Amino acid sequence: MSLNVAVIVKLEPDFSEGNISYNADGTLNRAETKSKLGAHSSVACLAAFYAKVNYGANISVATMGPPMSEIALSEAQSICDADSLHLYTDRIFASADTLATAEVLKKGIQKMKENENENNNGIDIIFSGHRASDGETGQTGPQTAWKLGYPFFGNVIDYHLNLKDRVVTLKRLVVLNGMDNIIEEIESPLPVFIALDPSYKPSFTTLSSRLKATIFEKNAEKKVANFKSYLKMFDHNSLELDPKEVGLSGSPTIVYKVERIPKGKMNRKAEIIDGRDRNQIKNIAEKILILNGQYGRS
Amino acid sequence: MEDFDVIIIGGGSAGLAALKHISALGKQAILIESGKEIGSKNVSGGILYSKNKEYGQVHNVEDIYGQKFLEEEPYERRITKYILNATSKDKVCSIDLTSIHDFQSNFGCSVLLNKLNTWFAKEAQEEAQKQGGGIVTGVHVKNIKWNNENTPIELDGGKQNSSTYDNSLIVETDELEEFRSRAIIAADGVNSEIASLLRAREKFSPDQLYQGVKVVIKLPEEIIEKRFEIGPDEGAAHLFSGDISLNQVGGGFLYTNRDSISIGGVYHLSSLLENPVEPDQLVNSLINNPLVKDLIQDEVPIKNIEKNLSKEEQTKKSFTISKLIRTWNELREIYYSPKNREKTIANGKFKSIEEIKDKINTTRRRLVEEFNTKFVTNYVELEYSAKVVPDGKRCMMNKPYYKNVLFVGDAAGRGIFLGPRIEGLNVGMDDAVRAAKTIIKYIKNNLTDPNIGEIYSQSIHESPYTRDMKKIDKDYLKVLLKAVKKIPLEDLGAKNNFLIRCMSNDFLRNFAVSTINKVGFYKFLSFVESPKIYIDIPILLAEKLGRKINTSTKFDIPELSERISKLKYYEDNNSHIIVTKPQIEFMKKMTVLCPTKCYSIEDQNVVIQHEGCIECGTCSKETSWKHPRGEKGIFFKYG
Amino acid sequence: MIENKKLSDLEDGNNSNSYHHMLVIIEVVDGVVLPVNYEMLGEARRLMDFFNKQYNSNEKVIAVVLGQNIKDLCNELINYGADVVVYADDPNLRYMVNQTSTKVISSIAMDKDIISKISPDFVNHYKKPRYMFFAADSIGRHLSATVLAELDSGLASDVNKLEISDLEIKHQHKTKGNALKYGKVLEMYRPDFSGFLWTTILCLDNKNPEIRRDFHPQACSIIPGAFAPLEPDPKRKGQLIEFTPKFDKKDLKIKVLNRSIDKDKIDFDSFKIVISFGKGIKEFPEDNIKLIETLSKLTGAEIGISLPLSKKIFKLDEKINSKYMIPGRVIGTSGRKITPKIYIAIGISGAIQHIEGMKEAEFVIAINTDENAPIINECDIFIKGKMEDVLPVLIEEIKRIISPLEVQAKRK
Ligand SMILES: Cc1cc2nc3c(=O)[nH]c(=O)nc-3n(C[C@H](O)[C@H](O)[C@H](O)COP(=O)(O)OP(=O)(O)OC[C@H]3O[C@@H](n4cnc5c(N)ncnc54)[C@H](O)[C@@H]3O)c2cc1C
Ligand SMILES: Cc1cc2nc3c(=O)[nH]c(=O)nc-3n(C[C@H](O)[C@H](O)[C@H](O)COP(=O)(O)OP(=O)(O)OC[C@H]3O[C@@H](n4cnc5c(N)ncnc54)[C@H](O)[C@@H]3O)c2cc1C
Ligand code: SF4
Repeated sequence: MSLNVAVIVKLEPDFSEGNISYNADGTLNRAETKSKLGAHSSVACLAAFYAKVNYGANISVATMGPPMSEIALSEAQSICDADSLHLYTDRIFASADTLATAEVLKKGIQKMKENENENNNGIDIIFSGHRASDGETGQTGPQTAWKLGYPFFGNVIDYHLNLKDRVVTLKRLVVLNGMDNIIEEIESPLPVFIALDPSYKPSFTTLSSRLKATIFEKNAEKKVANFKSYLKMFDHNSLELDPKEVGLSGSPTIVYKVERIPKGKMNRKAEIIDGRDRNQIKNIAEKILILNGQYGRS
Repeated sequence: MEDFDVIIIGGGSAGLAALKHISALGKQAILIESGKEIGSKNVSGGILYSKNKEYGQVHNVEDIYGQKFLEEEPYERRITKYILNATSKDKVCSIDLTSIHDFQSNFGCSVLLNKLNTWFAKEAQEEAQKQGGGIVTGVHVKNIKWNNENTPIELDGGKQNSSTYDNSLIVETDELEEFRSRAIIAADGVNSEIASLLRAREKFSPDQLYQGVKVVIKLPEEIIEKRFEIGPDEGAAHLFSGDISLNQVGGGFLYTNRDSISIGGVYHLSSLLENPVEPDQLVNSLINNPLVKDLIQDEVPIKNIEKNLSKEEQTKKSFTISKLIRTWNELREIYYSPKNREKTIANGKFKSIEEIKDKINTTRRRLVEEFNTKFVTNYVELEYSAKVVPDGKRCMMNKPYYKNVLFVGDAAGRGIFLGPRIEGLNVGMDDAVRAAKTIIKYIKNNLTDPNIGEIYSQSIHESPYTRDMKKIDKDYLKVLLKAVKKIPLEDLGAKNNFLIRCMSNDFLRNFAVSTINKVGFYKFLSFVESPKIYIDIPILLAEKLGRKINTSTKFDIPELSERISKLKYYEDNNSHIIVTKPQIEFMKKMTVLCPTKCYSIEDQNVVIQHEGCIECGTCSKETSWKHPRGEKGIFFKYG
Repeated sequence: MIENKKLSDLEDGNNSNSYHHMLVIIEVVDGVVLPVNYEMLGEARRLMDFFNKQYNSNEKVIAVVLGQNIKDLCNELINYGADVVVYADDPNLRYMVNQTSTKVISSIAMDKDIISKISPDFVNHYKKPRYMFFAADSIGRHLSATVLAELDSGLASDVNKLEISDLEIKHQHKTKGNALKYGKVLEMYRPDFSGFLWTTILCLDNKNPEIRRDFHPQACSIIPGAFAPLEPDPKRKGQLIEFTPKFDKKDLKIKVLNRSIDKDKIDFDSFKIVISFGKGIKEFPEDNIKLIETLSKLTGAEIGISLPLSKKIFKLDEKINSKYMIPGRVIGTSGRKITPKIYIAIGISGAIQHIEGMKEAEFVIAINTDENAPIINECDIFIKGKMEDVLPVLIEEIKRIISPLEVQAKRK
């Protein structure tokens, strides 16, 4: 009763202060800005790690991106003690939108089934992060899931498996505008696609499982030292992808233009007003109501 | 319920040594630490000693971790220069006490506990895993009870007839399901909840504690060596007393690390309660000392962003400057460190040292010319921290156990304060080995021997460190006085002079010391650790004999709020501390003495804002005090 | 029908009459239509009114609702701007489960019966909707992705501005480098991750013969609060169409076992204005809180606090304490990070930990007695004065403006 899981990750620029750099014209200086495994991707790895420790899962991590994306794979391996790393890299994959990316990931994950897990059910669970921080919008996951025919569950904060019946129970955090937050508990047969909420944390509940986790952590360390031996590269040929379906050709959407948001946030420079000046307070009252759409037009 | 033989609570240097040793002796043990990572909750000064005691054997760091400790150097610098500075305003009288430092020592090295304990943990973990044990972090033990009792123990420490109980313990944590253990080593530090929970001892009272407050300061490696006139394999330690103590009993310290400086003070809590001074002010008074200023100053860039840019441009500019400053800092770290230089040149990043230097200069120039950055003389703080330290001679547990729970290190109140020197790390590690050995015997007896505690206690009493906590070592005093002898004491006034003269006489000293030890060392503490010794004499020394230090350097010392905002917390909505006596004097004083100002008085009641708590333990005595839940609370990056 | 075509349609490609209407996917949670859906309907109405006028056509805003016992909600959607409401009412749709919802919505989108009921003219060539709107929330974001994967088209997410226009496009892939005209293109604006830039996304058919492929519908998910809903008009007429969904047995094995509501969380995100108070209320806490309550009622604001207040430091009525002095209202690193349009900080000094929670607010007003309080560096207007003096005047002035307006509204 083996369990096979896949994790989809992404290499992202590190946008934190002290790491990010801009060119003189205000655009992102990609050369100077370091890249790393995206924060949300590492959450997905944690979920896979939980499956490894608790259910003995075999883990494959996959990413689509330029060759340097292998950094993301090795970082992912160090988190989840992955057994194999898959890099989908091909010039023609570049600049893909989510639909075209999902196409590549779909083929890649189908290949995982064929290659590694000949005599079992294929991939049982696919994990992905909530979204990437550099503009990707959290659609790649659900679209990949759909193309593969896996039910998709987003914002997952906890999950448990019943391996005997091959059923997953999971909790999702549903945040809706104008409503209280909802925690929804769902049961679904495997296979499934799970996108983790950023707040996900593996819920090891026994001391022995925590101990076990430390052993896998150690293993991961050893593997990462030699991560290239776990790495497999694929291009559109080896994934048997039609070039028309991927990259720019397979992307329905294009970025038509980029412009400054007109009323871009200005630096705050406080206008100081004397609280005893009724006229001034009146102006502020107006300002509040205008901004709030209760009066005039903004 | 899961069953284990031995659980160690607390992953400080004491707990880790216990784990390492039990595992090395071939048995399974599991260490539980509440911090998110090992090392994130531990604070020291600190100098870790390896001792060579005359009155018995101690277990030193290199005995526990082997030669690897010396090879991999998880410490900062070996201390080769040990100086006491008496201060008064701009005058400093420096006395070389290196002989004191070397007294019965193999070596002493400066350490930063996050790094050190992380290394210990790596070693201990590896050993433990071989035996099926290991380290589990982020788990907070909240209760221990014995299997045959439903309620927590409510008995006096260890007085129960031990043959009648079922010795298996049930451990409750905030994070995991309950589990059973047959013995526990409590290495949970000076604010031990386990000790209070079991009533194995009273909470330490202010009289038994010192409050230690520290700041880690950044300074490049070779600049340190130049300033302190030490070689690459050497380190300096400075102690301070006199006016820097703002009239408190205690003193200041400054230790050189590899590429940083630890600076801080350790003050008697009773003294602080009597005349409350803000802990950060005590650190500031040291930083403002002219000698210290000259030692720690550095070139510091100041970001300057035009206010009339749009927020977007400001942010981008600010980020770009941050990145440049970071590059500049990193390059300096390479340039001023022989090891880093070598590595960087070897991996081809730079061709030569000159090239690194060039890059530093161009980065600096860019910062100045393109981004209007100013470089000023100042210093850079990395981390502010605090923790109370138990004074073993006043508070060590006479019987450091309760049933089959053994207390080690700070949890057992074991630390040596000998004049200017603190020893807690080495003592805790020695305790740990003794506990480990006891446990091994216990396991061999099928985990049933009801005398486990007594056996451990005996071993502890054989420890030379225990002796140090009870008695003045006359040889130590001799060395101390010899060091002080070079000072022309005539100038100090007849009375003090007379005392020192008497003590310098071998016969008189030995007589005095043995009398004191007979009557009880602790009875003389109020005399030895008095304002006179700690404040008046040093000030006198400085004024009469000190050299004047002129410095024009003005430091921009960060406000407390700035220091706190730089700390890393994993916040918890639930407070781990509850104020139970909101109107007593002690609590009112906490509004001053809490190092992060967590307390304020509102409507005549003292209230706590626990979010800023750095878990020092100063307020523990009169509050319901627990460590935060697993992973929560302060996270020290240096410690 | 060919005769009716306008020029831009002809250049729009062969399949231009295969795509019609605007589908707006409505989310019903526990019997309630989410506010964002009304905003989407408002924007859809505006765009399609423009569209129909511009292109002299008659395409509809179709609201799609799934759920159980939802029929009663349909008229409301018409009042808010929908022409047609297609609803699927089934116990299996009680909760929005992505798998089942995706299939039902996709079937509705491609259902010719429905089109024949709405616009029989289109039915022959009809393939898919022209445009589609989803909400950019925990349900809609994922739903939009899976539905569009099923419909095999593109999607922009987190959109906050929309236009329809005819564009000339020259694109290496889409048009093989030639300048070609695209008609009725939905320009979808989304703020990029930095918050400073707007990226416009288009979903375009590949007209390049080598990679020819149609990409419709043009779809997006819409940020809550970005658009204004219309005033509901109970007199608006529209068409209700019931759709009977079919389910895969396999999908019905996905079960919602339990749902619990997390009540502690204050829903700051739904409010344009947040008014916070701090220790500065100390002299007359009870009276000051009353003033702040009045102000918040007048402006429809949610109320926040600074951290110390959550420690219940003032002796107050237990009702007030349990309503306001709670961790859920704290703004800052230990509490919430919020991004309202207006933030009013009353008697708050502006400690760095507090600033972290509100610095992304668009417009910040502080009321404080102390000009040296750090909040002055993080606000747009600093009213120097005691809140006890300032608030009553501010409230009075606001009332003075609002009441004649209300009178005006009544007269209309
Ligand atoms: C300013 C200062 C200067 C010092 N200078 C020196 C010096 O120069 N030389 C020297 O030798 N010593 C010095 N000391 C003393 C020395 O630092 C301590 O004695 C030593 O760090 C104590 O180690 P420990 O392992 O006993 O406790 P700690 O390091 O406090 O470790 C206890 C651990 O237990 C964990 N814990 C607590 N409760 C629980 C629970 N319920 N569940 C799970 N985990 C728990 C804590 O998170 C912590 O990690 C100094 C101390 C200070 C503060
Ligand atoms: C780790 C940590 C996390 C923290 N997280 C948060 C957090 O998430 N959120 C948060 O808010 N704080 C947080 N704090 C606390 C923060 O540092 C400040 O202590 C707190 O924000 C101060 O609250 P305040 O502004 O209400 O009070 P004060 O600083 O006392 O300010 C009161 C202000 O009111 C003004 N005032 C007085 N009387 C009047 C009057 N009659 N009319 C008008 N103004 C008046 C005063 O001039 C003053 O500026 C945190 C602290 C720490 C250490
Ligand atoms: S509140 Fe925390 S930081 Fe303050 S004194 Fe108490 S333990 Fe120390």
